[in-house]
Amino acid sequence: MHIPDHYLSPVTCAVMTASMVPVWTYSIKKIKLELPKEKIPLLGIGAAFSFLFMMFNVPLPGGTTGHAVGGTLLAVLLGPYAACICITVSLLLQALLFGDGGILAFGANCFNMAFVLPFVGYAIYSLVKKHSKSKKGETIGLVIASYLAINISALCAAIEFGIQPILFQDVAGMPLYCPYPMSISIPSMVVPHLLVAGVVEALFTQAVIVYIRKVSPGTIYQEQKEKRSGIYILLAALICLTPLGLLAQGTAWGEWGMDEISKVVTGGTELGFIPKGMEKGFSMQTLFPDYTFQGLPEVAGYILSAIAGVAIIILLFKIVSAFRKEQ
Amino acid sequence: MNQNRYENVPNKKEVQIPDWLLKKEHYIPKSDKESFLDKSILSFMRIISKIKTQNLETVSIYQMNVTLKIIATLFLIITISWTQSFSFVIVLFVSLLVILCLMTGKQIAGILAVSTGIAFFTTLIMLLSFFMGKSYAGIFLIFKVFVTVTTAGILSHTTRWSDVTGSLKNLFVPDIFILVLDIALKYIVMLGDFILHMLYALKLRSVGVNKKKYVSLSGIAGTAFIKSKEMAEDMYQAMECRGFCGEYKRQKRSKFSLVDFVCVIFLIGTVVLFFYFERI
Repeated sequence: MHIPDHYLSPVTCAVMTASMVPVWTYSIKKIKLELPKEKIPLLGIGAAFSFLFMMFNVPLPGGTTGHAVGGTLLAVLLGPYAACICITVSLLLQALLFGDGGILAFGANCFNMAFVLPFVGYAIYSLVKKHSKSKKGETIGLVIASYLAINISALCAAIEFGIQPILFQDVAGMPLYCPYPMSISIPSMVVPHLLVAGVVEALFTQAVIVYIRKVSPGTIYQEQKEKRSGIYILLAALICLTPLGLLAQGTAWGEWGMDEISKVVTGGTELGFIPKGMEKGFSMQTLFPDYTFQGLPEVAGYILSAIAGVAIIILLFKIVSAFRKEQ
Repeated sequence: MNQNRYENVPNKKEVQIPDWLLKKEHYIPKSDKESFLDKSILSFMRIISKIKTQNLETVSIYQMNVTLKIIATLFLIITISWTQSFSFVIVLFVSLLVILCLMTGKQIAGILAVSTGIAFFTTLIMLLSFFMGKSYAGIFLIFKVFVTVTTAGILSHTTRWSDVTGSLKNLFVPDIFILVLDIALKYIVMLGDFILHMLYALKLRSVGVNKKKYVSLSGIAGTAFIKSKEMAEDMYQAMECRGFCGEYKRQKRSKFSLVDFVCVIFLIGTVVLFFYFERI
């Protein structure tokens, strides 16, 4: 679901980023007001979780891949505002360091995954929880919320892709950016998510919640024991398991590189051209493109990327919390 | 004179206040530039407080064998400067990030502030190579610098200086060197305190424009030197009285804990990786 650069027109990117600015400011304000200082490192752990989730690619029907985001999980654990900031940070790191998701398209990616996903997930979860107070109701609410939220987020991404050929064409009527209209982009994005990625997200969310409830109930419920070491162990286990994400070969829909796009087959026909706006556009060289390191085997590179990402996120939030205490 | 005046009126109870005391004063001291005084006071304070807080702070996670830590740091710095492989530097970079994660936020900020600052200056120096199209070499060097400074930063932030001098003995450093270093570290604080007080005194006594202030500064330096000589002699005599004959002895034998084994494994891994990447 990480939209790379060039797939969206710069105008679309600008609009999406502008729409995210108030969300970010309000979220930060809310976190400052509501989250106690000692819980700020927990935000880092949340962001690290989301970063790792997105590294687990699962093969989707149609030869593409998808991944969980963990947005609903974070929204339930830390609140939707904190979840928004967590996912934003991990998306930023992915874009800047690993070239996963575009720099220009950062706003759009944040809109889909850091805004729509946690807030929709949290809304559905609290709605279901309101109507059934039992623990079973809570579990069902969590499953439904995480399943629906990631699908709605995928739908948003599909709509962003789909409006490109309608709005931006060259003189000959050829699309300048993403070449697929909504009639193709929505089924290609949403159907695989409905079938596989949504299920994976729901499973991940449920599994992590069950684990945390057992190991460190204080993270979810107030006035109970909070044990961060259990959560760190889970993080380490997830890091070791990340190479599983490499098993899924193929590129996610809408994330093809410039060398791939003209050969993409949709409905039996190859696209056969590279849209003009995509050829000559801004491109940034990241340090570790696609989570690989020169001279390292793919698996080692993937694990190293996971460790680096998690470490940078945790460092960032530790420093932030250290300086907040001084005020 | 004053005495005579009071003797003339012995029987009267009232006391005459001299005229000059009743006059209103209109003296407003001219403002003088004190920036250099403030600046030197501040820098002294900073250094002294750094050493003093280092002594108070207990570093819980880093109960590592100090000798091993020094060896590891030197080893890492040497391998980083030796290697020609970017991947090796990146692997070390990531492992240092993990080590940093175990420390407190303030320590992390302190270490990273120095290393990013130095990496930034390296970037400035390397700008020319970026314009000439050799960006790979530039980025490689910046990373090398960053990793090296961070390694040294982790050592200095997690180890007390007194422990460092103690562990130098294990590294077969001559006693005279340890003696000098040990005394120097202790006396930086004491002399710093001493100089700080003299700077305060100079500041308090300089009312209005004091043109001799700069001259006094050299006076402070001279006094500090004489004082240090006296103090050093006193201390050395005191040490001799207590049986010091120029030889340092270790009181307790250093133990090898779990953290140390992890460190040794990490070092062995680094060696393997170093040769692995050099071969490619």
